[in-house]
Amino acid sequence: MTMSIRNARFLVGVFVLCLGACANPPQTRLVLSSPPVSLPRHAELSEVPFFAQEAFQCGPASLSMSLNAAGIAVTPETLKPELYLPDRHGSLQVEMLAATRRHGATAYQLAPELNDMLREIAAGTPVVILQNLAFGWYPVWHYAVAIGYDLDHAEIILRSGPEQRQILPMRTFEYTWARSGYWAMVVLPPGRIPETAEETSFIAAVSAFEKITDPERAQSTYIAALNRWPGNLAAQIGVGNTAYRLHDLAQAETAFRQAAHDHPDSVAAFNNLAQTLADQTRYKEALEAAHRAVSLGGPLAQVAQETLADIESRMKL
Amino acid sequence: MTQQYSQFMRWTSRMVILSMLTMGLPLQSAFAGMVETDQAVSHELAGQDRARINAFIDREDVLAQLQKQGVTAGEAKARVNALTDDEAHKIAGKLDQLPAGGDVVGVVLILVFIFVVFLVTDVLGFTHFFPSTRSAR
Repeated sequence: MTMSIRNARFLVGVFVLCLGACANPPQTRLVLSSPPVSLPRHAELSEVPFFAQEAFQCGPASLSMSLNAAGIAVTPETLKPELYLPDRHGSLQVEMLAATRRHGATAYQLAPELNDMLREIAAGTPVVILQNLAFGWYPVWHYAVAIGYDLDHAEIILRSGPEQRQILPMRTFEYTWARSGYWAMVVLPPGRIPETAEETSFIAAVSAFEKITDPERAQSTYIAALNRWPGNLAAQIGVGNTAYRLHDLAQAETAFRQAAHDHPDSVAAFNNLAQTLADQTRYKEALEAAHRAVSLGGPLAQVAQETLADIESRMKL
Repeated sequence: MTQQYSQFMRWTSRMVILSMLTMGLPLQSAFAGMVETDQAVSHELAGQDRARINAFIDREDVLAQLQKQGVTAGEAKARVNALTDDEAHKIAGKLDQLPAGGDVVGVVLILVFIFVVFLVTDVLGFTHFFPSTRSAR
């Protein structure tokens, strides 16, 4: 009697496991059943270089593969002190993004979608992903670079750890990837935009890049962003601010005037225009722009007030 | 103990920054008079003292924790500098808990139990713990 209950329980357990094993996880199912029309059936970026991972160094190895693919020559050894946490035997996600910026590339975290990852690969950009190779209660965190896929065979191709060409069933890949919250990032050379970039998040990624890199690099990326999203305020201000940093006041003025024209309620546009004009000792025009900025109010009102006061005091000299 | 200590540090640094601000010491970027790109579309009060103080404290915290995790002082500084305020805020106080990708396969206790569980789940394709296993499908 007890035996048969135990047997029944065992059978149910095996049945449930099989059921789970036979069904695909949600994103895999979606991609296989209705892939985006424009997505090729398979793609592989064979030209992405391979750096075999040393002990615990999957972060530096993965990132250096992506940076090299973006045309930035860097070795895992160079990245190790910038990424590795000795006591944790690993690297943090935000530092993967930060180290990318330190080496002159834009770091962009993708939306948590298998679709987007595949579209990036098809567009020629390898994708750094974080997997948990084990379980939530026994995590084994691991970075790898997705360089290819095959929809017909339902496979993902990775540069992973010591393996130059690891082929994972798409469903297994999704199970391990889902445990990191589908974390994925791409590394792009200045002037390039990810295929799947979302306007606001991408501009935020560029402004993070602007803070740490040469103004030229950030500027070319802002200009590319304006080509894709004409009239984006933050990108227009970004072009102006990078030009200002490069002491190209004429270009800065053009950018801020355009921003002010397209966004007549932007305090930032009028304030920065006023500052740029004042630096060229064109105080009359500067004053006009500063008054406009102050009249708009809002969260930046204090900055605008200071700019106005500064211009007025400079005029008295 | 550590919790109390870091609370104390937080409070102390807040006081120090506040006194610096009230003394009128400069605590702003070298980009005077200009609105930074990330502030241009932000709905937060740009340059608001509280936001600046919080960002400063987050960064100090990350800096201290990086060094505690074995990063040299100079490198820790450069690493903190490369973070945005948001990123610093995301990891402040959590450096010892957040996922750290390092592929720590086979450390502490790999019991036979875990071995078998992983073997089975690897074969079923739920996990990929053993590099050489192939999923049944």
